[in-house]
Amino acid sequence: MTDFGVLEKERRAEEAGPRRQTRRDGMRTSPRRRLDLTGKHTLLIVLSLLTVAPIILLLSTALKTRTDVKVNPFGLFTSFSFENFVNAWTQGHFSDYVLNSVLLSVPSTLLVVVLSTMAGYAFARLPFPGRTIAFYVVVLGLLVPFFTYMIPLFFQLRSLGLLDTLAGVILVLTSTSVSFGTFFMRAFFTDLPAELEQAARIDGASEWQIFYKVMLPLVGPGVSALSVFTFLQTWNNFLVPLVYLPGGGFRPLTTALYQFTSGRQIDIGPLAAATLITVLPVLVLFIVMQKQVASGFISGAVKG
Amino acid sequence: MTTSSTVPRVTRRAQTRLGIVLIAPLMVLVIVFFVLPLLSAVYYSFVDFNGINPSPPFVGLANYVHMFTDPEMWHALSNNIVWIVAGTASPLVIGLLLAILLWNVRRAGVLYRLAFFFPYVLPGIAIGIVWGWIYDPIDGWLNVALRAIGLGGLTTGWLGNPNTALFAVLATAIWASTGFVMTILLSALRNVDIELVEAARLDRANSAQRLWHIILPQITPVFIMVTTITLVGGFSVFDIIFIMTGGGPSNATNVLGTYSYSSAFQLNQISYGTTLAMLITALSIPCAVILNRVQRRLSLQGSGA
Repeated sequence: MTDFGVLEKERRAEEAGPRRQTRRDGMRTSPRRRLDLTGKHTLLIVLSLLTVAPIILLLSTALKTRTDVKVNPFGLFTSFSFENFVNAWTQGHFSDYVLNSVLLSVPSTLLVVVLSTMAGYAFARLPFPGRTIAFYVVVLGLLVPFFTYMIPLFFQLRSLGLLDTLAGVILVLTSTSVSFGTFFMRAFFTDLPAELEQAARIDGASEWQIFYKVMLPLVGPGVSALSVFTFLQTWNNFLVPLVYLPGGGFRPLTTALYQFTSGRQIDIGPLAAATLITVLPVLVLFIVMQKQVASGFISGAVKG
Repeated sequence: MTTSSTVPRVTRRAQTRLGIVLIAPLMVLVIVFFVLPLLSAVYYSFVDFNGINPSPPFVGLANYVHMFTDPEMWHALSNNIVWIVAGTASPLVIGLLLAILLWNVRRAGVLYRLAFFFPYVLPGIAIGIVWGWIYDPIDGWLNVALRAIGLGGLTTGWLGNPNTALFAVLATAIWASTGFVMTILLSALRNVDIELVEAARLDRANSAQRLWHIILPQITPVFIMVTTITLVGGFSVFDIIFIMTGGGPSNATNVLGTYSYSSAFQLNQISYGTTLAMLITALSIPCAVILNRVQRRLSLQGSGA
């Protein structure tokens, strides 16, 4: 980030010069504006550095040697080693936790996307009896916080034999995201023109073919935004595995980290490495698919 | 919509069939994992259930009476209110300033936006761990920085001191959510009429006047939306507080969420925990309904939020 800041400043100095020159004759405040802009960028660079500082701290502590992390855990980049990662991965069992996180979030994401796309299409474009009441139930799912039914759900899962199981937690994760997903996908299907559907029908397509072959390919952006958003939500989810995996089987990264921090003696080095392992997929997804992530989070903010 | 009368009856029947097939899996899931536990929650709040007794006795409104006369509930609720007020106002103010700062920055604008937004996508546990280090009583950056600028007298164990713990966690939450608020405000600012702002500049309105009289009125709906979003989340806040302090030290950071959780899962007062959850629900649903209204109105206006 530091590099980027310096680079940007230099490049701007080079480029802004000539462009401003050509526009100067007609412009009122060119030199003042340029000064404003430099000040603005300096301020923005300082502020963004402050914002990313905690991640830099995490990276620095994770990369320390065992002795350095004991003496000076939060000094920036005073030593370099991967031993914390090795330690967390093997002795800390984080290889298992990564696998558990994947086993929980990938199936839930798939389920959410498939169920929401199907239901979203039905709510947007198909008449069926009970549609209004079904829709109200989905809206209710958006409005009611998870806390409301979290405790009874624990006892319900226990009596169904789903407590401490992969299937149980996947189903809960799915059900907490599926109302939003349905809403999200419904909006995409509502926006499609009715002519498409009529044309396909005249060509002899069945209702299923209209959904699957004509309409579905057109909501690709919606499906990808929902997938990325749901994956991040389930990967980051803390409360659901905390409550519904009390025995500790299939423990994902989030609750494993929590377990790690509440141990008697906290080993900061491996903890930093394990936290970085948890955060890394999130950061990569966020940077690669920033548009989808932002649109998902902005429309999904209701579920807090 | 395809419900017009021009659709032949055969097509209608096929559509109905497909509609039911497409909706059925969702409805089964939602009924089993949402509607049933929701009904049980109402039931739990009227009985005395400790997690073991198979047929708990009916106690009427006793749980609710207990709740409203429980000083710890009022303490937790007041913490929620502090959380909501400070946790809404600060990201709005800081987010607005950042958004205005970024408004006509073209070069590297994306990078700044990424830097400000990314804390919002991080898992709460990672945020809690790293900020726990920053607040560390001995080596933590905050205390080191305070000592470095000669304010060593202010150093404290930020999360262990009952007077500072809530605000320390709150500051972390503000760090995590400001970039999100900024992103929403930035997209709203794109719809602000630049001509008006320029005209005001020519009329010698200073920047504070331009902000207050020209820009803010044009983005008010988005302000309302962001406020209601944080309001809804503010009553059910749990993760970051539970992770950083567990509601302690000595309940100093207890909110309704952590109080409900510890009542149910640590003290086995299942019914009381559920009653507290009902209070969270009763407080947050009206906010969510308002939010839903505001969002719908915004999308009708096509302002892209």
